[in-house]
Amino acid sequence: MTVVGLVALLLAAVAAVVVGHRDDRVPPLLGVAGSGVAWLCSVVVGALHWGANAAPTVTGSGRIETGGLPITVALRVDQLSASMVVLATTVALLVQVYSVAYLRGDPRYPSYTAIVSLFTAAMVLVVSADDLFVLLVGWEVMGVCSYILISHHWELEPARAGAVKAFLMTRLGDIGLLFGFFVIGGAAGTYRISGIVEAAAAGRISGHQATIGSLLMRCGVVGKSAQFPLHSWLPDAMPGPTPISALIHAATMVAAGVFLVARLLPVFALSDVAMTTLAVIACVTMLGSALFALAADDLKRVLAWSTVSQLSYMFAALTLGGYGAGVLHLLSHGAFKALLFLAAGSVIHAVGTQRLDGMGGLRASMPVTFVTMTVGYAALAGVPPFVGFFSKDEILGVASDQAFHGAHGRGWLVLVVGLVVAGLTAAYSTRAWLMTFFGPRRGDRTGVPPPEPGWLMLGPLVALSAASTLGGVVVVWPSFLGVEREGWHLGLVLVSLAVVALGAALAVAEWTRLGHMDPAASLGRLRPVLAREASYDALVDWTVVRPGRWLAGLTRLNEIEVVDRYAAAGDIGSQWGSRLVRWAHNGNAQRYLTAVVIGAVGVAVLVGVIGTGGPS
Amino acid sequence: MPLLFPLVVSSVLFGIGVYIVLARRHAVLVLMGVELMLNAVNLNLVAFDAWWHDTLDAGQVLALFVIAIAAAEIGLGLAIVLLVFRTHQHVDIDRLRELADRDETGAVEADDDRSVVS
Amino acid sequence: MIGGLELLIGLPLLGAVAVLLLARREQLAAWVGVVVGTVTLAGAVVPWYSTIRDDGRFVARSDAGWIAALDVRWSLGLDALSAPLVVLTALLSWCCLVSLVRRAPVCGFRPGLVSLVLVIEAASIGTFAALDLIVFFVFFELVLIPMWFVIADWGDEEDPIGRRRAATRFLVVTVIGSALMLIGFVLLHVKTGTFDVIALRSLAPRIDHSTQVVIAAFFLFGFGAKVPMWPLHFWLPDAHSKAPTVGSVLLAGVLLKLGTYGLLRFWFELVPSGATTVAPYLGALGVVGIVYGALACLAQTDLKRLIAYSSVGHMGFVLLAVSTLTTQGRAAANFANVAHGVITGLLFFVVGAVKDRVGSTDLERIGAALYARAPRLAVIFAFGAVASLGLPGLAGFWGEMLAMLAAYSPADELSRPTYLTFMAVAGLGAVLTTAYFVVVIRRVCQGASEHDAVPDVEGDEWVAWSPLVAAVLVLGIFPVVMLWSASSSASAGGR
Repeated sequence: MTVVGLVALLLAAVAAVVVGHRDDRVPPLLGVAGSGVAWLCSVVVGALHWGANAAPTVTGSGRIETGGLPITVALRVDQLSASMVVLATTVALLVQVYSVAYLRGDPRYPSYTAIVSLFTAAMVLVVSADDLFVLLVGWEVMGVCSYILISHHWELEPARAGAVKAFLMTRLGDIGLLFGFFVIGGAAGTYRISGIVEAAAAGRISGHQATIGSLLMRCGVVGKSAQFPLHSWLPDAMPGPTPISALIHAATMVAAGVFLVARLLPVFALSDVAMTTLAVIACVTMLGSALFALAADDLKRVLAWSTVSQLSYMFAALTLGGYGAGVLHLLSHGAFKALLFLAAGSVIHAVGTQRLDGMGGLRASMPVTFVTMTVGYAALAGVPPFVGFFSKDEILGVASDQAFHGAHGRGWLVLVVGLVVAGLTAAYSTRAWLMTFFGPRRGDRTGVPPPEPGWLMLGPLVALSAASTLGGVVVVWPSFLGVEREGWHLGLVLVSLAVVALGAALAVAEWTRLGHMDPAASLGRLRPVLAREASYDALVDWTVVRPGRWLAGLTRLNEIEVVDRYAAAGDIGSQWGSRLVRWAHNGNAQRYLTAVVIGAVGVAVLVGVIGTGGPS
Repeated sequence: MPLLFPLVVSSVLFGIGVYIVLARRHAVLVLMGVELMLNAVNLNLVAFDAWWHDTLDAGQVLALFVIAIAAAEIGLGLAIVLLVFRTHQHVDIDRLRELADRDETGAVEADDDRSVVS
Repeated sequence: MIGGLELLIGLPLLGAVAVLLLARREQLAAWVGVVVGTVTLAGAVVPWYSTIRDDGRFVARSDAGWIAALDVRWSLGLDALSAPLVVLTALLSWCCLVSLVRRAPVCGFRPGLVSLVLVIEAASIGTFAALDLIVFFVFFELVLIPMWFVIADWGDEEDPIGRRRAATRFLVVTVIGSALMLIGFVLLHVKTGTFDVIALRSLAPRIDHSTQVVIAAFFLFGFGAKVPMWPLHFWLPDAHSKAPTVGSVLLAGVLLKLGTYGLLRFWFELVPSGATTVAPYLGALGVVGIVYGALACLAQTDLKRLIAYSSVGHMGFVLLAVSTLTTQGRAAANFANVAHGVITGLLFFVVGAVKDRVGSTDLERIGAALYARAPRLAVIFAFGAVASLGLPGLAGFWGEMLAMLAAYSPADELSRPTYLTFMAVAGLGAVLTTAYFVVVIRRVCQGASEHDAVPDVEGDEWVAWSPLVAAVLVLGIFPVVMLWSASSSASAGGR
């Protein structure tokens, strides 16, 4: 079924490009149809593979000989894959439907919908691949699709710059990932993921190899999931169309990093060093990005930073061995973040700007968007009974277990940082929510309240908010994933609820105190620092981009001024040589003869000297 | 007779011949220098032939060959000299430079556009 | 006896003569060229198909006495290493010939160019098929002369002096290289008494170590000049930027492969112990080439020179793969060879088309927003660029990935830490490759449109380019077509 879905998506992509330019109505139809078929397939796949004892299905066994270990072209679907496939195709279908209205009349619609289909296919390939290199194919195709989609509006400078940055940063990580695959594949003696997991479980991978392999793979994961130090591409990817942000930068591509760690958790778990590094990275990223989200004044940037922060949550859970918690948060985050982005798209579509200071007071004129986005924010902040509350609680539960009973010191780290970030999340969610929907309408010259978009856009919002509301049921009984839930930590729930309430209350209090102005103003001197994102871009610019450019310039100069000069010197040298010979050919036959005689005598003398073994 | 005497004579003859060929400007004198060198070689051939007691007398035979070729050569050479005199009104070798590697303008160096450096 | 390979070499040569005889009727001559190219391509696929599952034996063998006094035999044959390259040659030549049907070269006399393309095709096929060192050398040299004419007489119409200089530089450097190569061949003959490659496979590895090192070093520089290996690459950007489109395509797609093919065939198989000593140097020069080429591209302002420098980088990957001395490296090098041929061929076609339309390859003069001005052209360029930067699922990836994988586990005699360093540097080079291609796409394809629209891809260009696009996709999605025999054939030939 997975294969059928993949083929449908690819066919839709090709068809959209080939015939899409003839008629405006065809490409949306093709995109929705392709994603629809893929979604149906994924539902079947999900139904077949969910459940504690469902056996995985393996499709295909083509071998690519490489002269060393062969690459196996095979797909393997188990509970985790099935859940991810369902998440990816569901969000993709909703995004395709949503885009029909959002991008109506866009001349680039055919290529847009084709790339979205290709992207979905790549994501499905990633989550269902049973070979590291097959996974890598999907992984990188996703990267390039993301690059193309971010630069959808390529006439705008931020879109071009963001696309380049996103592609380069993820690709930098991917090289590490590739090397990590070499190490792990070499250590396990196979590139099949199932084989590697078996080898790790059987102890055939040494701790040393696991450490090197995991640290290298971590580079790719960090790049794809926008973790520190490759975190800064995700907020800059926001000039892309908003449905794309929902699909790629919330629900699927960035989640691929988390998925990979979850998939190879037995390998990562062999290495305490890798897990601790990942945990520290996750905590740093979590805290930093939540702070950045607090000060960002672009709605999509707030959401992007919150994505980064939530992904760190998942990594933190995984580093503590909380496979179920991490994966559940991945799924729930996929639902509510897609919802938030699509709702933000509806707001942006109506208002015409992404800046928070151009919004405000929208709850009256856009009631459906208001309600659904409120659901999304509530889920993000971890308000019961929405899905985010359960999955976040799950993660904090794992952390407290590790902190109080586990052997690793990182349990405390995750628990403390996680609680602080829960408060921060509530604060920035409340801030963005207030600034979008409450207070006076800012930066508006027309005086006409922005209208609610059509049902093509609202439909996906409603569907996703239903998922975000009812998803908690799934989280509480996660046996479909084949994992057991550990039960409630009542004290912890109370503490985290208190923290969330505190964060939200602070934001509301500041909002009221400042007279319905941006609560971030009360951050004081910290605000510009956070709004500049701690000058990380400038740091990268000075340490990587400029030296790189300088080296490139130096190389070019070397080519022109040194290498080319050597070549030219060869030219000139041979020219002088030829002049010398021409000068000798002056027509005086006697001079030629003189040279011949001198030469003959010289040779004779040499023969005499050498032939007799020297003058002595 | 020791071998040394004819060898010394032939060396001296050859040296004189080389000197004439290299130093004199008159074409006829240069040809005479060539004759001197040839005959020095002939003397060598005959002397070695006698010294080796060669049963085939190869040295003497070769000397005869050289004499015949020298005759032909001098005939050709004098004919060329005559033609040169008719066209140039002189037979001064130093002034016969038509074979020099130069282009029409007379400068010895020039670029044709397919040379290595353009 | 005339075997299939003689036909494959003779047909383009006869075609070249026929084209010249028909020179008065230009259009007809161009069509004759296409017909000959098509037949040759069809003929080239047949032996390839029979080597695809090959066990290292040579197919389509022909063997006859030629110059007995010099121990030279007329010996031809194909195996899994050379057959794909013959197909590549025939394919690229076909594309070039098709592209000449509707487009007369600016410098005039199209039949001359068509017949030179055919001569290059014949000589390249001969080089790949030769199983005698001297026959190889003869064909190797025979490729150069027509290429000199192509660059010098049909090159950049605005710069007749520059194109002649570029052509001569190309000729001189590669001839010096082949002279070094010839010394290596002669040394082999001195030590073994034969020029026959198949006999040498068993005889040559028994030569004493120091002689093998000398031979390997001669081959390194001889073939390295052709590849081109850093720092002998300086002729390449000039030659590419001055050559006409078909010249660039053949130069990058076919001529560079002669060097890497020579290394694989002679270096790898004939002097293993010498190669072991020299290999780390080759690997080092290869990875330096990768990074250096990428850096040179980053600051480049001329699109054709940029593609040329990118070739230096890609050939660096091939050299790295060759230098690992493993079966995997051999498979990687062969794959990367073919992949680079089709991808760079496509890129040069596109850049040539841009030059036809805009009149220059300077980035400033091309201007921005090609996506808007000529969408299909721009998309094909972006496709080629993405393939070239090694996106998995397209042809460029497998060769480079396998090259790095081979460097991860080089032959036992080689120092592993050295090769791990090479692998890391190559990875950095791959990132830089991505960087310059996205920078170029950003500069040329995207951006605000200030320039006029230009004609989009036309019918004959679709015909000439689509086989290359298809090849990039097929090699990327079904790498098995090249890797099928990776383990089996090399076990017979390599180590």
